[in-house]
Amino acid sequence: MTDLSNQIRESARKLLQQREVELVIGFEQGTLPLRNTPCFIRGQEEAERLIWGSFCDNNLANYLVKRQEKVAIVAKGCDVRAIVELIKEKQVTREQVIIIGIPCQGMVDRRRIEAELEGKEILEVGEGDDKLILKGDGFTRVLNWNEYLYPSCEACTHRNPVIYDILIGDMVEEKATDRYADIAEFETKSPEERWQYISDEASKCIRCYACRNTCPLCYCQECFVDDTHPQWIGKTTNISDTIIFHIMRALHLAGRCVECGACERACPTGVDIRKLNRKLASDVKELFHYEAGISLDQVAPLATFRPDDPEGFMLNP
Amino acid sequence: MKNPYLPLPMRIDRVVTETEDKNIKTFSLSFLNSEDETGFKYIPGQFAELSVLGKGEAPFSIASSPTQEGRLEFTVNKVGVVTTALHNMEPGETVGVRGPLGNGYPIEALKGKNIVIIGGGFGFTSLRALTNFMLVQRNRSNFGDITVIYGARSPGLLLYKDELQEWGKQDDLQLYVTVDRGDEEWKGKVGVVPAIAKEVAPGSNNAYALVCGPPVMIRFTLPVVQELGFPPERTLLSLEMRMKCGLGKCGRCNIGNKYVCRDGPVFTLAELNQLPREY
Amino acid sequence: MKAKIIRKQDIADLLDNLLRKYEVFAPVKRDDLVVCDRIGSGSEAFLDYTNSIKPPKEILFPQSETLFTYSSFDDAANIKVPLSKERPYLLFGIRPCDARSLTLLDKVFNEEKYKDVYYLNRRANMVVVAIGCVKPRATCFCTSVGGGPFSPEGSDLLLADIGDDYIVQVITDKGAKLLEEREAEDAGEDKLALMRKAIREAEASILPQITIDGLKEKLDRVFDDPIWGVLSEKCISCGVCTYLCPTCYCFDIVDEARDSGGERLRIWDSCQFPLFTLQASGVNPRPTNKERYRQRIMHKFSYCIDDYGQIGCVGCGRCVTECPVNLDIRQVLTTISNK
Repeated sequence: MTDLSNQIRESARKLLQQREVELVIGFEQGTLPLRNTPCFIRGQEEAERLIWGSFCDNNLANYLVKRQEKVAIVAKGCDVRAIVELIKEKQVTREQVIIIGIPCQGMVDRRRIEAELEGKEILEVGEGDDKLILKGDGFTRVLNWNEYLYPSCEACTHRNPVIYDILIGDMVEEKATDRYADIAEFETKSPEERWQYISDEASKCIRCYACRNTCPLCYCQECFVDDTHPQWIGKTTNISDTIIFHIMRALHLAGRCVECGACERACPTGVDIRKLNRKLASDVKELFHYEAGISLDQVAPLATFRPDDPEGFMLNP
Repeated sequence: MKNPYLPLPMRIDRVVTETEDKNIKTFSLSFLNSEDETGFKYIPGQFAELSVLGKGEAPFSIASSPTQEGRLEFTVNKVGVVTTALHNMEPGETVGVRGPLGNGYPIEALKGKNIVIIGGGFGFTSLRALTNFMLVQRNRSNFGDITVIYGARSPGLLLYKDELQEWGKQDDLQLYVTVDRGDEEWKGKVGVVPAIAKEVAPGSNNAYALVCGPPVMIRFTLPVVQELGFPPERTLLSLEMRMKCGLGKCGRCNIGNKYVCRDGPVFTLAELNQLPREY
Repeated sequence: MKAKIIRKQDIADLLDNLLRKYEVFAPVKRDDLVVCDRIGSGSEAFLDYTNSIKPPKEILFPQSETLFTYSSFDDAANIKVPLSKERPYLLFGIRPCDARSLTLLDKVFNEEKYKDVYYLNRRANMVVVAIGCVKPRATCFCTSVGGGPFSPEGSDLLLADIGDDYIVQVITDKGAKLLEEREAEDAGEDKLALMRKAIREAEASILPQITIDGLKEKLDRVFDDPIWGVLSEKCISCGVCTYLCPTCYCFDIVDEARDSGGERLRIWDSCQFPLFTLQASGVNPRPTNKERYRQRIMHKFSYCIDDYGQIGCVGCGRCVTECPVNLDIRQVLTTISNK
């Protein structure tokens, strides 16, 4: 990881020195042991701050929308997919972005680690040889790093950047995961069971909109939640309004969500936000043979019409 | 314990469409319960939250003077949900009113002074309340010379046209009405409010300048007022911010540590200069 | 009243007993999280925890509060206020930082001029039993803002965990009265010594993380400094910090209508949301995350002091651990202090 950090710093330094970009968006060490945090580098002397580690879990593409200047951005597989979608949706141009792509082995889920340690506070973390060395007051625990990845990382089939300008590290083998297996399993439940699950999850939601604000593809200046003319949903934590918020957001992201998991990670109360998004992603893949953010040349299925688009839902409701 | 969130019921008695584009209407309201009326004591410059049940609440300057008993007037610009709903209401219908809120104009400080009122567009509402308050016979002698300079973008957009005509005939105030752009019928002054203020050049000796209007008008009027010699302590502004509770609690309308709904909406320029530039 | 001792194994029974008279709110486990919620039996209370994810402010100041209802839209003369005579509330097992937050919320909602009847209806008879923190976390900075792991402010009774027992310190008459009815034993000197040791160690373990001395003056001076843009650049303007904060109280007032009739609600809002200060004309005095984040810091560490005489932060650390982008208020304040 240190070597990757150095490579990122070197790239950033060069890009800034040669004035190829005005800004490098990357990660730096966070203020807590299991956190890395987004950072904005504008001077080459600041490039030292950039790091790469197991906690670089934010999707930095979130910071690209409507930028005027040329930027370089450190992006893992899922982040690059988001950048591809943003370019296709004209929120940023290809020429504006220098993608510093990093093949990613997955990010560590700090909440899973905290649960594993049963609330004992972690004061220091070290990484080495696929291990996480966690130290706290009077204890040291060594865990296998790849047993504690985010669910989104475990299901990931696009760990390598699909496009890039600079590649940091080596490409990794893509996993042959049946990533929608749990969605298929969820679909075998009765409507009542599924509704109960969605309701239980939505009852945890506090309408903080961290999920929406951290998502790179949620970039509407005025979100439907804030419309008053007409008002689509109420703003309280009323369960119907909350479920509709999540359903509508998932529908707005259908065919656009790159399943990076940023939404789920941002949620302070542990709502299973990705369930709906991934169900729709799975449907889009099945019906339109399309996955978001894979190719700049593919038009999003909900932004175009082909005569052979499936019509089953219209003809056999 | 009085519930500060509860609106009092009022009946719409009269609706006057003020402007040519029909976007501004003045509503004359009266209390359903007489004890509510006796309890509602206000001074010009204060505001109230008008409720349309099912739609919400919005803050409006009280456009009538407390000397006009038995009614409250609000001049409403149609810009959103509540104002649109209000505009669709007819005399006889009920609305809710919460107030009076805010600090109002410092009447005691204004006594014995010459008053120069400079208002633009929709900002004239609270100044109109103050003007009517001062012109009332029992109050008039408390104040010195009253100069009113009021302008709108065009003649059709002037508020209170009938009242302006009456004021123009009176000799206990000097009225200058202007428009940015005239039309074939307009015989009065043409020019933006700051320019007319400069032209009229009201004296600043022992006088207060009260300015209210859209941000661009205020921005260009304040230098004129300063040049005429009005010090910041004797320049009053009524500010507009997004407000909700009107009680200084919901955290929305503060500029620095001052809540526009609680410590304002009337501020002296001296006070404003102490606050951060966040309005 | 002298300090008492209660065995940990007796707490569930004690709560069952109290449930006969009080609506009891205590920390409970919900999946992986701890929340402060109403309990139906003493065994539901989960006291071996660091802190609840949501602060107990939601018990006095719910996320959604019905101010009044109306059965038709033109019936402004007949609105109904749902203020019920509830049983007294008992807030059991909250942390001293959260108990301290109540002292600020009391000032906000119980002002001379405007008394919030909804808040006060619950607050008037509420008893607060806090549990001191024998093991504060590295993200706790209560001592930097005038509090502490065993601060009694806001509590009626303060518990100290000394192993198998809790020592109960009586802070107010309300607390004394609650204890009187329970016939608890006086704590012996040996147990009190254990408590004092635990308190000393807890207080020593919290390192000062921000400097309050001179901070307000510095903040008032650097309002226009471009540092705010740098500090807030990664902020995504969500509501996590404000909603999880024990001392945040910004709200919105909305009407929700049905076919006929409806209700007016007071709901939580956040100064971090982009549309918070948006005016109908389209003007927004706080258009970017820079102005909004600055407002949060200025409000908590300057304006609250002007308005209420205390800092609007109790150092609980929730915003630090839960911010999706790790925007750390301690780091921000230290940067400002060092300017």
